[in-house]
Amino acid sequence: MTYRWIDHTAEVELEIEAASERAVLEEALRALAELLGVECDEALGPASTVPHEVSAEATDRPTLLAAWIEELAFLAESEGFVATRLVDLDLHGGDLRAIVGGVLAEPPPLVKAVTYHRLTFEPSGDGYVARVVLDV
Amino acid sequence: MSKPHAVLSPEPVEDELWELPIGTVAGMRVPARVFADAELLAAIEQDRSLEQLANVATLPGIVDAALAMPDIHQGYGFPVGGVAATDAVVGVVSPGGVGYDINCGVRLLALPLSYDELGKRRERLVHELSRRVPVGTGGRGAREGLRGANLGRVLSRGPQALLEDLGIGSEGELAFTESGGCLGGADPDAVSARARERGAGQIGTLGSGNHFMELQRVSEIYEAAAAGAFGLRPGQITVLIHSGSRGLGHQVCTDFVKRMDARLGHHGIELPDRQLSCAPIGSPDGQAYLGAMASAANFAWANRAALAHRVREAVRSVLGGGAAEGTRQVYDVAHNVAKLEEHGGRMVCVHRKGATRAFPPGHPEIPVEYAEVGQPVFIPGSMGTASYVLAGRARSLDRSFGTTCHGAGRRMSRTAVRKTVDGSELRRQLEAQGIVVRALSARGLAEEAPAAYKDVDRVVGIVERAGLAARVVRLRPIGVVKG
Repeated sequence: MTYRWIDHTAEVELEIEAASERAVLEEALRALAELLGVECDEALGPASTVPHEVSAEATDRPTLLAAWIEELAFLAESEGFVATRLVDLDLHGGDLRAIVGGVLAEPPPLVKAVTYHRLTFEPSGDGYVARVVLDV
Repeated sequence: MSKPHAVLSPEPVEDELWELPIGTVAGMRVPARVFADAELLAAIEQDRSLEQLANVATLPGIVDAALAMPDIHQGYGFPVGGVAATDAVVGVVSPGGVGYDINCGVRLLALPLSYDELGKRRERLVHELSRRVPVGTGGRGAREGLRGANLGRVLSRGPQALLEDLGIGSEGELAFTESGGCLGGADPDAVSARARERGAGQIGTLGSGNHFMELQRVSEIYEAAAAGAFGLRPGQITVLIHSGSRGLGHQVCTDFVKRMDARLGHHGIELPDRQLSCAPIGSPDGQAYLGAMASAANFAWANRAALAHRVREAVRSVLGGGAAEGTRQVYDVAHNVAKLEEHGGRMVCVHRKGATRAFPPGHPEIPVEYAEVGQPVFIPGSMGTASYVLAGRARSLDRSFGTTCHGAGRRMSRTAVRKTVDGSELRRQLEAQGIVVRALSARGLAEEAPAAYKDVDRVVGIVERAGLAARVVRLRPIGVVKG
């Protein structure tokens, strides 16, 4: 895994290091699934459901990361669908269109919101780093 | 990757008050001040909360100082326990200064019986409360809300809509609710379709995280006159409800942080933290937020009214109709809200994020029954310690825009507390102390363990010595329902 949870007094803070922008978004998806209590490796079996389409747009990469997690969290809250794998990703400028696979679950605790506090998604060395604080 | 936070060390300026001067963080327009003692301040310095408070002091139009109550802890943008008043004419409103759980707050109900009279029915009552009150954020907890509620009318009128449409609550309860349970200027059209979708079906649900319902008994009385005015006597049974605007409020804040962040340049505003995004109060963005926030606040008051209705039904089921009819609402206060108020002769927008209004005796916004003793304030401690009923005091108007603390304040992260506390063992310990526990998960119980919080006695002692509020009653938990 290339994501880790940083200690935060009241909320949860996620840090990601990855080789590409796609990998950052994929790691964010995996981290959210873990937070919602679903192991990604276990989710590839028969319990998987039909893929869902997710789209987001933003004027910059950090905002796009926040919008991506917001959409995944909303899917979990509204449909009980926890995305566990990124099937396809089309990333053009500030537009993101993705197909995600996952499982139906009753995922507590759900994310209340994705904050802009210390929000980062930028090149670093040969790859990218990202950070986001979630209100839980 | 993540840098350790800079340690900021405020200097003492008055009793129980510490200050970070202008210049501590670039762009500060006013000082940042914290109500604390030396021991609490040392704990506060362990996370980023003081840096966040100093950032708040950069908001355009902020008046006097960015303030923090002794229960301050690290949040996002604003610290939890933060207070900021901005000039109503030239200042800004910041959705992050209210937070995602708009009008998260506390309602206290007093039952017409004592601990001894409740006797062995205590466990059955806690069980019945847990059975009737949906908890958690997903599944049953999200969708078993009150049936028949008209969302549009709730957004406009709050619990008054439930009373008129469904016969839930009473005029008396509205009178014993901050702002009568309805913020003026609500604009349901400013609430997005997604916010409505997230809130639909959630009226009358508790939620998760630190939201809870607690059965308590009055264990100590400090001010007999105020306790008498609040209808509280030694040994009396009370129910404390802690919940907010659920998914609807979360989405309103999300929508407006995003919208204002995108338009900061348009308004010529530079900020040290994007989560502080804001807009001039008089601008279309500012007015739209205030309208949507008021709608979410009204939703939250309706939510707590519906939860109180479910408590009464549980009381009726276990203790009978007389006990249900005799269950009285002491008051209902908001913890997360922005309100236009007059302070020092001018109108300001008071952002209270994890802080409670605490108006003193004689203030015109207090119910007439409490006019001589001050506004009730409820301070939940932790499920293993105690909660307090306070009353607002006059110095709060001079020192904190009529505000006091809202709880004990977290001191440990959820991750850290899970490493040291086992949820199942905690349940056994609490039950050994005579506290009946009903929780959705052992993990959630552990995250809210008493060890995760500061000493509520110390926090309350500071606001009392600072003259913001006075202790009236101490409440000891005897049953907990947790999301």
